Amino acid sequence: MADAHAEHGEVQIDESLKTHVCSGGQFFGVYIALLFLTIVTVGVSYFDFGDFNMLIAMAIASCKAALVMAIFMHLRWDTPINNIAFIGSLIFLSLLFLFTVADFSTRSDMEPVHGIPAEVNNAFDWKSK
Amino acid sequence: MSHAVLETPTPSGGNFRPHKVAHHFTSAVQEFQSLKLAFWLFLVTEVMLFGGLFAGYYIYHEQYLETFVACGKLLNRELGSLNTIILLTSSWTMAMGVRACQRSKQREMINWLWLTVLCACGFMVVKYFEYTAKFDHGVFPGSFFAPDETYAPFFEGLLHPNIFFSFYFTMTGIHGFHVLLGIFAILWLIWQGGKGRFHAGFSAPVDLIGLYWHIVDLIWIFLFPLLYLVP
Repeated sequence: MADAHAEHGEVQIDESLKTHVCSGGQFFGVYIALLFLTIVTVGVSYFDFGDFNMLIAMAIASCKAALVMAIFMHLRWDTPINNIAFIGSLIFLSLLFLFTVADFSTRSDMEPVHGIPAEVNNAFDWKSK
Repeated sequence: MSHAVLETPTPSGGNFRPHKVAHHFTSAVQEFQSLKLAFWLFLVTEVMLFGGLFAGYYIYHEQYLETFVACGKLLNRELGSLNTIILLTSSWTMAMGVRACQRSKQREMINWLWLTVLCACGFMVVKYFEYTAKFDHGVFPGSFFAPDETYAPFFEGLLHPNIFFSFYFTMTGIHGFHVLLGIFAILWLIWQGGKGRFHAGFSAPVDLIGLYWHIVDLIWIFLFPLLYLVP
């Protein structure tokens, strides 16, 4: 009965779906900004800022990532739940990095590991083959 | 009790087909948002996949700093920069393709998508030249690492240079695999888009594959400086 009814096509038009559309200029502006930041990061890499090299490169990469996420990926106009899902993953990612960095940046010079058979210690040493 | 079949408005122009909202959704908005949330969750797993690799890279980078700095200089910075520009361009063309779809511009959407595929193929071609330039000299990942006489002097006195190349090939390899999958996904969009399946009333597949494409770009944005510029 119900199926027969649907088959005969009582069709309702749902007009409620409205998505935000960015302007072409907006996308082009972001594209130019991304190219500019790429040139900056390549240019900066020719100078040596010591320990800050990595920090500077990651800061520029984060700016680029933020642009892509907010505009290209539309997160700025997306629903809160999608923002929470994705930004949440980045927060957990930063937890992973926080503890890893805290560990490795506070270690003093490592001594070679003793008491491990040489073939294990050298397993990945291409010269020992 | 009868259920009316829900359809989104079918735009005129082109050979657009009507889109029926799946019966288990109460509205087109609910369908769209469900698809989108599910896809964002998939993208979260991508973040986790690459996040683990990045953390591993960081650990070995700290452990063998000298090795990583020296080996990073062996990568071709110019080709890496070229690939960054190619991938950023493809991200822009993809965004424009999604925009065209949301405005029911069939021809325009397909043109932007073809441009995206073109850039993606360009990326893979550059990657091919980069990889073979290393393979030809025996620079393979892990235990296959056997540099020939031209490359061996670079690695003299370095601890475990093969680890750097394991990370390099694994990270760019998995990323390249994503690019390859993206090419097929976008070709599917072009095929189905030509049949008029995607328009303002049903842009979800274009939208979601667009998101996938942007996250592939996002990962490269971090891979490029880490491997090529400031190892």
